[in-house]
Amino acid sequence: MMSLAARSGTFSPYMQATAFTVAGPLKALVPGVVVKEEKILLNPKKHFLCRESLNGQSPKTGHAVTVSINGSAGIRFAHTDIRMPDFSDYRRSEVLDANKSSQESSEARRAYSYLVTGASTMVGIYTAKTVVTQFVSSMSASADVLALSKIEIKLSDIPEGKNMTFKWRGKPLFVRHRTEKEIATEAAVNIGELRDPQHDKDRVINPSWVIVLGVCTHLGCVPIANAGDFGGYYCPCHGSHYDASGRIRKGPAPLNLEVPYYEFPDDDTVVVG
Amino acid sequence: MKIGGGVGQLKTDMAVTGHPLEEPLAGLKLSPGVTKLPSGLVITSLENYSPASKIGVFVKAGCRYETSENQGVTHLLRLASNLTTKGASAFKICHGIEAVGGSLSVTSSRESMIYTVDCLRDDIDTVMEYLINVTTAPEFRPWEVSDLRPRVKTDKAQAAQNTQIAVVEALHGAAYKNTLCNSLYCPDYMVDNIQSEHLHQFVQNHFTSARMALVGLGVDHAVLKQVGEQFLNIRSGAGTTGAKALYRGGESRLASSSGLVHSAVVSQSAAVGSSEALAFSVLQQVLGAGPHVKRGSNSSGKLVQAVAKATADPFDVTAFNASYSDSGLFGFYTISQAAAVGDVVKSALAQVKAVADGEITASDITRAKLQLKGQFLMSLETSEGLLEALGTQALTQGSYISPEEISKSIDNVSLADVTNAAKKFMSGKKTMASSGNLIKTPFVDEI
Repeated sequence: MMSLAARSGTFSPYMQATAFTVAGPLKALVPGVVVKEEKILLNPKKHFLCRESLNGQSPKTGHAVTVSINGSAGIRFAHTDIRMPDFSDYRRSEVLDANKSSQESSEARRAYSYLVTGASTMVGIYTAKTVVTQFVSSMSASADVLALSKIEIKLSDIPEGKNMTFKWRGKPLFVRHRTEKEIATEAAVNIGELRDPQHDKDRVINPSWVIVLGVCTHLGCVPIANAGDFGGYYCPCHGSHYDASGRIRKGPAPLNLEVPYYEFPDDDTVVVG
Repeated sequence: MKIGGGVGQLKTDMAVTGHPLEEPLAGLKLSPGVTKLPSGLVITSLENYSPASKIGVFVKAGCRYETSENQGVTHLLRLASNLTTKGASAFKICHGIEAVGGSLSVTSSRESMIYTVDCLRDDIDTVMEYLINVTTAPEFRPWEVSDLRPRVKTDKAQAAQNTQIAVVEALHGAAYKNTLCNSLYCPDYMVDNIQSEHLHQFVQNHFTSARMALVGLGVDHAVLKQVGEQFLNIRSGAGTTGAKALYRGGESRLASSSGLVHSAVVSQSAAVGSSEALAFSVLQQVLGAGPHVKRGSNSSGKLVQAVAKATADPFDVTAFNASYSDSGLFGFYTISQAAAVGDVVKSALAQVKAVADGEITASDITRAKLQLKGQFLMSLETSEGLLEALGTQALTQGSYISPEEISKSIDNVSLADVTNAAKKFMSGKKTMASSGNLIKTPFVDEI
């Protein structure tokens, strides 16, 4: 009449059924390879040392065994079968000894780590900046385009009184070797009479050379050199007369001929642009 | 199958405020309903209005029904509860049960196997489906069964580490010639030899309606009855009847290097359900069955007092009582230091002899009866204990006996019954099982 309920007393934990969660069938990772069975390590905790600890350890009746899914799991003495791996290959020499305090070396270790990190960060930042600027500046004008923007002219090829035309940035460039008479004439012109008042010395660096863009400021035709009433240029399209300095004297053009940026690296060459 | 009505009713009852908590609610009688189907299946259920429900299928398929060809099949069967069935795969069972927060467990003893599911009230349908699948339609796929073998070995290793289990298994092995001598764990030579066919055959022969009981706690009886009629009637018939247990009385000595010697001395007692069995239970309490006070000195038991006079070393002694359907074992179990075993065992035996000679008083008997009643009634307090009580009664008798009736039968045990029980132990052929450093341990004929 006594049911199985009478079997496990409240004070005999050793007589409770062994129960563990059903985890699932074990599968070998590679088919065909024999999985060597490991020795089953169990915790041989022996703490029967005194009368009190032996109290209630004797079973009162036969036992039963329980297995369950999601039921209460058995006690697992994990700290005996899990081994801490050995990290000594990766440790610094100051902390290899497990029994020595790590406090003494902590400042030195910390300083070293921070220094290395800081230096690497700075190097990294500069590297990043370099890489980014290289990529971004690749989108700017290429060297062949930049090369076309300047022109170098040998001045000894141009005799006095002669005007030479060069193609520069898609436009005609006039380089005139002025005579002394022309220089004096231009310097003596009254600026008040000019439509676009500019003194000759403001338009040239070296008075014997005048370099202007050969584009008429009226509607963009190319003036003819050594023509016109003022000894300079004459635009045939609408009759604009420029003088030997490239200033407008007569005709419909509103402004003087444009003077580009140029410099004389030596006496014989000029670089325009 | 909506089973929510009961809780609603409870709510309206509890709405009657001002009711003192020392008295049970009037008109709320919690008594289990028992139905016996024509096929032999017994259905018991108790609506206890608990938010969690428990359903158990009790089957007379313990390890005593193993034959020599399939020794250890119940061990694998116990581990095979989560394998693929006809209605649900192993993954579905595990995942489905975890999804509702339930649990499925199998407990096996020498007499029966108990499949239990517990879950919240509303999820009964889901887990019931898995329970029915596992008990009636397992597939035991050969590769899944062979994957159980490492778990069998782990199980055995864990059990071998526990000396008490080893000694009790050895005790049964030495005491009986057949049936009850079978171990709950698969023997070493059979671990690799139990195949899927053995499992199938065992289930075919023993998981029949006449040998099963369906028990529910927190479930509607009508619902359970419907489930029992529809699903658990698959295999009808009485199945293979087991042989009667033959007691022989032998000895088993498991030598080891342990400094503590565990030793059990028993003799044949009575089967479950007989009046003698109750007398033996009372005798167990008279002699002392474990401490009743946590961290107390356990000095109230007669056995402990007797052995304390014989040795000053640490020891423990308990009266051992196990009853099965056609036999039983009664005696005592001792744990002692290797050098003192002889004194301990002899003094314990002398104490039982003293009881047999009539050296007990009426107050001893009263105390023992109260302790037995208390132990039994307190075991019914938990849902696991209650389910087990309902189930084993349903399985063995097909009916339910209330705790009040059982308490009354305990009270009816007389001093003469207890003395006769002790005399039966003293005169019967003894069985002994010991484990540890056995240099000084006496043999069964020397005690």
